[in-house]
Amino acid sequence: MNVITNNQLKCTVALAALESVIDPEIGLNVVDLGLIYQLDFDEPQKKLFVSMTLTTQFCPMGESITAAVKRALENTFDGESVMLELTFDPPWNHNRISEEGKQFLSK
Amino acid sequence: MFAPGQSHTAVKNTAPELVLPFYFYAALSLLAGTILLFFSADSFTQSHLHPHVLAITHIMALGWGTMIILGASHQLVPVIIEKSLYSQKLAYTSFFLAATGIPLLVYAFYTFNMAAPAKWGGRLVLLAVICYVVNLSKTIFSSRQKNVHAWFILAASGWLLFTVSLGLALVYNFSFSFLPANSFKYLPLHAHAGIIGWFLLLIIGVGARLIPMFLISKYTNSTLLWFIFGLINAGLISFTIIFLFIPGTVGFLLPIFLILIAIILFAWFCYKSFKQRIRRQVDEQMKTSLLSVWMMLLPFIFLMSIVGWLFTDMMSSRMTLVYGFIIFFGWITAIIFGMTFKTMPFIVWNTIYGQKAGIGKTPNPKDLFSNTVFKYMLFIYLVGFVLFIVGAVLAQTVLLCIAAAILILAAVLYNFNVIKLLLHKPIAK
Repeated sequence: MNVITNNQLKCTVALAALESVIDPEIGLNVVDLGLIYQLDFDEPQKKLFVSMTLTTQFCPMGESITAAVKRALENTFDGESVMLELTFDPPWNHNRISEEGKQFLSK
Repeated sequence: MFAPGQSHTAVKNTAPELVLPFYFYAALSLLAGTILLFFSADSFTQSHLHPHVLAITHIMALGWGTMIILGASHQLVPVIIEKSLYSQKLAYTSFFLAATGIPLLVYAFYTFNMAAPAKWGGRLVLLAVICYVVNLSKTIFSSRQKNVHAWFILAASGWLLFTVSLGLALVYNFSFSFLPANSFKYLPLHAHAGIIGWFLLLIIGVGARLIPMFLISKYTNSTLLWFIFGLINAGLISFTIIFLFIPGTVGFLLPIFLILIAIILFAWFCYKSFKQRIRRQVDEQMKTSLLSVWMMLLPFIFLMSIVGWLFTDMMSSRMTLVYGFIIFFGWITAIIFGMTFKTMPFIVWNTIYGQKAGIGKTPNPKDLFSNTVFKYMLFIYLVGFVLFIVGAVLAQTVLLCIAAAILILAAVLYNFNVIKLLLHKPIAK
């Protein structure tokens, strides 16, 4: 998975937390699905910026998935405010699925 | 550092309280339709114009097929075109008008009372459709996204309006005889505008979006979908012109050919989506939906039989009965069976667990209904469906009754799962 970040260590912690957020239809977590584009940490301002997408702009589960991502990060980084941007530029495509994700889906 | 780009918000979902009554009404209509089928089995050995057959056709077309599609489209259109529904009040109005009008219309056909019950039933259904078309058009035209799927839905709603307007005109024609011929003469136009214009266009438009989405397919081909859109509309328009102005000619083969090509292309689209899917495991609901795509081809076999038997009246009428049965109890029912349990669990899940996502473990939407009951329902339904066709072709009332009883059982199991979903209470894992 390729997630852009300015803090590799915190990014690893954040991604581990986000592995608990499952797309309820597909049954795969948002990290292995490749929905997370960018995770940036503003230490002085105590802010965490997350840029993510959905598998489709028509995703009816979009609201609950983004809410779950926000909540998982807030729970992990106590005291930091999470700002979430939902983007479809570039749109999600199957190449973003991790090897683990592909193995899961090919079962 | 993070630089906000073009950000979006997830499309606001239509309120589930608005969508779920359509699903429930449709489930009850299916049950009522199969019960009517059982008590009217004998009419399926007679004419396709038998009042009981007309009543069953309308409860299946309006109460079952149309109601569930109206409900699902109120949910799906906003997400397809990324715009919230124009008016929830119009959607509720549409539901209450249709929910009142359909039983009146079905009762009118069952007793063949073309006076007040048929006229009021027809008026209410027409008003319901007008509300739906206004709501849909306002939603689509206020959105920047007007993709091929939106045009399928828009055109389908236009054909629905044409179908119910013509239907009401035919009811009035029984009393006032203002059309050049009697109402029965116009039934093929009324029926095919509904079957092809409304059901086929809408199912292809929405299916072409949902099938690749659920399969996580790499395949996309909007050019092919535009071509299919053109073929179906050209087929229907040519059918209407030939029907009204040059009847009794071999010209009917042109629309049949155009629409058959469109269906074959759509089957090809689904096949390519299936072959290029990333998600290897396909659940029963998707398999049922894909089965229904192949079922679309079945009516054409019977249509050809009708053309072949055109000069032996009784056989032609029987084949017409089978043709209609395959469309409403086969293709439309199969796709609704599949798609109900692909969409409804998510609507219920979103309502109950949407805000709890990420807090703790929540059940999977698939756990909200019984997949075992779904599998039994599907098997029982297929047995009943095939037996009924055999019974209708052989004109065997006993076989028709047995098949109808089996279909009632399938409808009971379908209702069981729908009610299980509706009554679902939050589970804290």
